[in-house]
Amino acid sequence: MSDFIERITAYVHWALFLLLEALSGFLLFQYNHYQGSVWFTQANTAAAKVHEWEAVALSYLRMPAENAALVRRNIALQQQLDVMRHELALAKVDTSMTQKALEHQLEGMTLIPAQIIDNSVRKRDNMLVINAGSEEGVAPEMGVVNGTGIVGIVSAVTPHHALVMSILHSRSSISCRLRGTEYFGYLKWKGGKPLRAYMDDVPRHAHIKKGDAVETSGFSAVFPAGIFLGKVAEINNSSDGLAYELEILLSTDLANIRHVNVIADQRKEELDSLLAQ
Amino acid sequence: MIVSTLKRLSWALLLLAIQVLILDQVHPWGYGAPLLCPLIIITLPLGTSRSEALLWGFGVGFVADIFAGTSGISSAALTLIAFIQPPLLQLMAPRDSEEELRPSFSAMGRWNYLQFIALLLILHHLVYFALEGFSYFHIEDIAISMGVSYAASLLLIILVEHVRNPKK
Repeated sequence: MSDFIERITAYVHWALFLLLEALSGFLLFQYNHYQGSVWFTQANTAAAKVHEWEAVALSYLRMPAENAALVRRNIALQQQLDVMRHELALAKVDTSMTQKALEHQLEGMTLIPAQIIDNSVRKRDNMLVINAGSEEGVAPEMGVVNGTGIVGIVSAVTPHHALVMSILHSRSSISCRLRGTEYFGYLKWKGGKPLRAYMDDVPRHAHIKKGDAVETSGFSAVFPAGIFLGKVAEINNSSDGLAYELEILLSTDLANIRHVNVIADQRKEELDSLLAQ
Repeated sequence: MIVSTLKRLSWALLLLAIQVLILDQVHPWGYGAPLLCPLIIITLPLGTSRSEALLWGFGVGFVADIFAGTSGISSAALTLIAFIQPPLLQLMAPRDSEEELRPSFSAMGRWNYLQFIALLLILHHLVYFALEGFSYFHIEDIAISMGVSYAASLLLIILVEHVRNPKK
């Protein structure tokens, strides 16, 4: 009998090994359903706090680069504004229409500022953590942008933090279109370089050239239309040969961002309930 | 016993902190970053029971996963090498070594210890990157990521072990 027990205990590590591997598998599987619990992610309170301290320390180091980028962005915007003013002055049509359209588009939207406290770009499925949560008005499915383009979509929130699915995630799919046309498709990331994404489903009769701008379509309630995503870098055939697959050079370098804004669109619920019908 | 456990715990916490606070933020050209956590399992002393090693492996992996947002990946990979480490150490440690020998360059011999590290590390990386890139489109990208991370991790671990290198 004791021989039997001895034999059993000699193999107990096998059982433990299988149990722990199964547990790991469960966590892996659980995490793939990213809408699920946030407690096993870097957005849980303890992990988020540590990352936040670290982010504060690091932000001082990154300030010069961040500043330079903001200045560049500012100059670009000023130039754009200047061109627009000039165009508006030349235009003979009633300019209050443009103004009205813009106001209408941003009506009911608030921007919630936040800082990224944890980020990655090297994984297949990248997530970010920002330091704004439900208390600040952030909710799942809200869009996250920064000055240069789109960052991702909120997938889960805690009171003061939110877990954001980066556009560099295998499940990320952003409805987009070619600027100035109505050709639309979905922006997807296939791994590898963090600046290289793909837009598929572009019909073969569309006139496209390298350097064309890609922006959000506004078809989903997450992002308003017209947010710049990037430029067409390569024009390839899709795998089935029925459409084009465009290689897009993203405008946002996700490896190097700190300040973001969450778009809180009050009309989103309305649109969502309509889409659900 | 308690002192050695505490020592090992602080060693593990130090390596975890370096991993989470520094290495996880490094993205060499967008490819794999060095992983230092396997060193915690690699340096488990001779005579550690296999069940204890497994708990170390899973525990370290679990914490690393939570901070890196890679639930289950590190814990699976580290549990595997924790399963293999004790018998492999028994096999590769010098015959006349003391009971609680802690693996190091001086205790096991330079070449022997290097082989020991390289073997456990490649197992860890194979599992880690296989799980991470489960549905990978670009198989060559994942291979490059793994290669870059493996080389970086190996270099870093050798460096750390040289700095630590205890005389005994």
